[in-house]
Amino acid sequence: MSSLNRKQLFAATVVLLLVPALTWGAGFAIFEHGNRAMAMGGAFTAVANDPSAIFWNPAGLAFQDNHGKKFELMAGATFITVSQDFYGEDPYPGSGYFTSQKDQVFYPPHTYFVWHINDKMTLGTGLFTPFGLGTWWPENFAGRFIGKRIDLRTFDLNPNLAIKLSDKVAVSVGVDYYVGQIDLTSGIGAINPFTQKLTDIGQVHMYTDGMGNDDWGWNAGLFVRLPLNWTFGLSYRSEVDLNYDGYGSFSQFATGYPEYDAAVAQLLPFGHRIPMKTEIDFPDMWSVGFAWNGEKWTVSIQYNEQGWSSFNSLDINFPTRPDLSESVKEGYDDVSQYRFGIEYRPNARWAFQAGALYDETPQPAASMSPLLGDGDRTGISLGLSWVHPNWRLDIGDLYLFVDQRATNGQSYDGYDGRYKTTSANLIGASITMSF
Amino acid sequence: MKPIKKVLTAFAVVAVLAALPAAAADFTTYVALGDSLTAGYSQGGLEEYYQEHSYPAIIAKQAGSPVFEQPLVSAPGIPPLLMLQHLVPSPVLVPSAAVPGQPINATYPAPYNNLGVPGATLYDMLFTTGNIQNLLAGHFDNVMHDLILRDGQHTALEQAIALNPTFVSVWIGNNDVLSAATAATPIEGVTMTPVANFKQMYETALGALATNTNADIMVINIPDVTAIPFVTTIKPYITLPDGTHVPLIGSNGPLPEDAYVTLLAAPLLAKGIGIPTALGGTGQPLPEDLQIAGDQVIPGVVLRPEEVQIINDRVAAFNQIIADTAKAVGARLYDVNAYFNRIAAGYKPTVGAIELSTAYLTGGIFGYDGVHPQAIGYGMLAMNMIRWINKTYGMNIPLPNMYDIMTGSPHDQPAPVSAQEAERAFTQQTGDRLLQVFGPRLQQIRHNASGSGHHVDRRVIPESRHQLRKGVQLAPLPPLDN
Repeated sequence: MSSLNRKQLFAATVVLLLVPALTWGAGFAIFEHGNRAMAMGGAFTAVANDPSAIFWNPAGLAFQDNHGKKFELMAGATFITVSQDFYGEDPYPGSGYFTSQKDQVFYPPHTYFVWHINDKMTLGTGLFTPFGLGTWWPENFAGRFIGKRIDLRTFDLNPNLAIKLSDKVAVSVGVDYYVGQIDLTSGIGAINPFTQKLTDIGQVHMYTDGMGNDDWGWNAGLFVRLPLNWTFGLSYRSEVDLNYDGYGSFSQFATGYPEYDAAVAQLLPFGHRIPMKTEIDFPDMWSVGFAWNGEKWTVSIQYNEQGWSSFNSLDINFPTRPDLSESVKEGYDDVSQYRFGIEYRPNARWAFQAGALYDETPQPAASMSPLLGDGDRTGISLGLSWVHPNWRLDIGDLYLFVDQRATNGQSYDGYDGRYKTTSANLIGASITMSF
Repeated sequence: MKPIKKVLTAFAVVAVLAALPAAAADFTTYVALGDSLTAGYSQGGLEEYYQEHSYPAIIAKQAGSPVFEQPLVSAPGIPPLLMLQHLVPSPVLVPSAAVPGQPINATYPAPYNNLGVPGATLYDMLFTTGNIQNLLAGHFDNVMHDLILRDGQHTALEQAIALNPTFVSVWIGNNDVLSAATAATPIEGVTMTPVANFKQMYETALGALATNTNADIMVINIPDVTAIPFVTTIKPYITLPDGTHVPLIGSNGPLPEDAYVTLLAAPLLAKGIGIPTALGGTGQPLPEDLQIAGDQVIPGVVLRPEEVQIINDRVAAFNQIIADTAKAVGARLYDVNAYFNRIAAGYKPTVGAIELSTAYLTGGIFGYDGVHPQAIGYGMLAMNMIRWINKTYGMNIPLPNMYDIMTGSPHDQPAPVSAQEAERAFTQQTGDRLLQVFGPRLQQIRHNASGSGHHVDRRVIPESRHQLRKGVQLAPLPPLDN
């Protein structure tokens, strides 16, 4: 070898660690898949008397009053608006730091189709979005190396068979076909050896093409008519491990130091996309409730338990670049929910609903991050229904008070502060037709 | 019932006492004793930007100390800070300017609160003085003591006591063993202070502080000096494209895989020294050990595992003395050795999702000289110390803002020197310069070596205690000509 190569030889003895860490993580469940159920605080497992029972308790389909019609179709959407502020704490990004999420509207849709095959059997199929997450922060905010923007959507196509075992008891069983999509953009930061400072060297866009990621789960329900106009509901929806195949697309930002840019470009696959794999264990859920149904009134209470401890870590793998792979600790906890709802039917044309709920966050303070800074939620809801013989319109609104919560210096990402959801409102409408 | 009542009362009293928070430390007058790590020395020099990010300066600021004066030096620093001129194909570090910066706070009419003197050993803290007139006259032999201690009469320890501090931190002893690593040669009494001498001097120093001040004393021990990028960056082998390792050649033969090659080998490797001829090198060996020939002192550049063991044993012995002495005088021990070992072992402090490490140039913690932290590293250290202070003294001092430290506008980079002046990294010039200030202080090594190490013993003067009486006043500083 010539002396020309000595430079390279020396370079070979010096290992430069330029590769930055990629981190992300979150989980988010949606329970609003029918505006009448939402208006009753989601306390619907023991009510279950419209097609949205497919989400809360499909066994209820067996007792639904079908007005002599064979089919029911329900469709609607819920418009979710969330505003969230972030107040930094020391040491990073520091007290006095403030930023807000960009305002976004999400409109998870729901569609249900019910076929009353005969007096005993009812087939019901739903399409809804049991999990979803969307956060979007300003481009240059201090947490950009954790995530600037995430959009996670999960659809559940859920056919169920409900069977009336007697005049008092019905059961159901169904399969859940999940499809999901992820879209996440996060900044890449590193210490620039020329300035000895944290510098933006690029960003990575991790995404799945469309809805090509799927997996299966199952669900079951029990609905019992008790004496004295009481009803009982019990339902279970299984955990689903959704495997995502997607891409990581890396783009480079010029730092003003061409030699450093060139070195970084050697180490990260800028300019093209590489395969990415990840997996999210969506939790199972138990729901149990009692309702009292009078001529004009329904009163319902419900308890849910969601097995979020399945979400222990999030592993992002780049099969062709294992050095960029990352396992993010999440450590979620199982959580409980308490729901209460009433409905008042003054006449055959109108119905009014109201409800309240308390929903514990499964997220430990340490895993709160710009991708999700969750807190316990208290909700109040109102709704009305306009009822015709062949169709009905349900309109509901749910306002959530989300506890503000601070990481208290425990953030796994080293990004500490207080997340304050200033408003979270869900408003929607569903139309149901019988034919 | 009465005895039971008494017992219950006693329990209640004990419970109340146990529930009382530890007495909060008072940072009204905070004095930091130490060496370059305390001074905020970084990037191969002492300069204002990094001095303002020294851990004592950050602690004082966060704790709300009304005054915390430092011997600030204007850009480009004394000596001029290093800058990274090229990263590829291999890093080239050069002094950022030929003319050093100026003291900008030299007329401050009291001892500085930051009395960290780059290069200072424990002996220096007890016995060495400095005179600013030497510096102003252009003599740079004892530049750091002259710059920081100024009056030509009082040692760092005496000046610290004279300030009547309410809180003192002491982080001394690094230079009593660091030279063994930076010169790649542990020699008793030459590059390492003998344990008995260290013990005697350390007890004297802490005893003087405890006797002559009412301050809370925070004592900081010695980190693993072989885990710094100066030692760990260059591998003892060359990796061929097929993944096989070809060992570099040292003066005692091919280097084992667990040997360390210091950054001072960089200019030699760039000339082909230490590299087998088959790979295009000269086949000449790297000088493994310190050589002293007349006026010439040439540091070694290879630490073999047995040398690392000797150095680590010495650090452990010093740290035992530090812990024991701290306990004896009622000082509290901040265990920086454990904290740094965790990081060196792979724990990456994560700040804003950025993982910091001890990697050279890109890890974020250490600066260009490979020995001293840069602003982010000092900030992290200060953060960890404040957590410790809060826990130890039951306080609630706010942590520093790491976002500002990490992303703040880069330190003004002075104009690069011409490319002709630049050699390969670390340049010979760079290496020599660093050695003068923090490394083995060559003069002292030569001095020590000429006395076969016994000289050190004679310089430990136990009678010093009476000199350290309370209320030592600094002589008025001489007028300074501008």
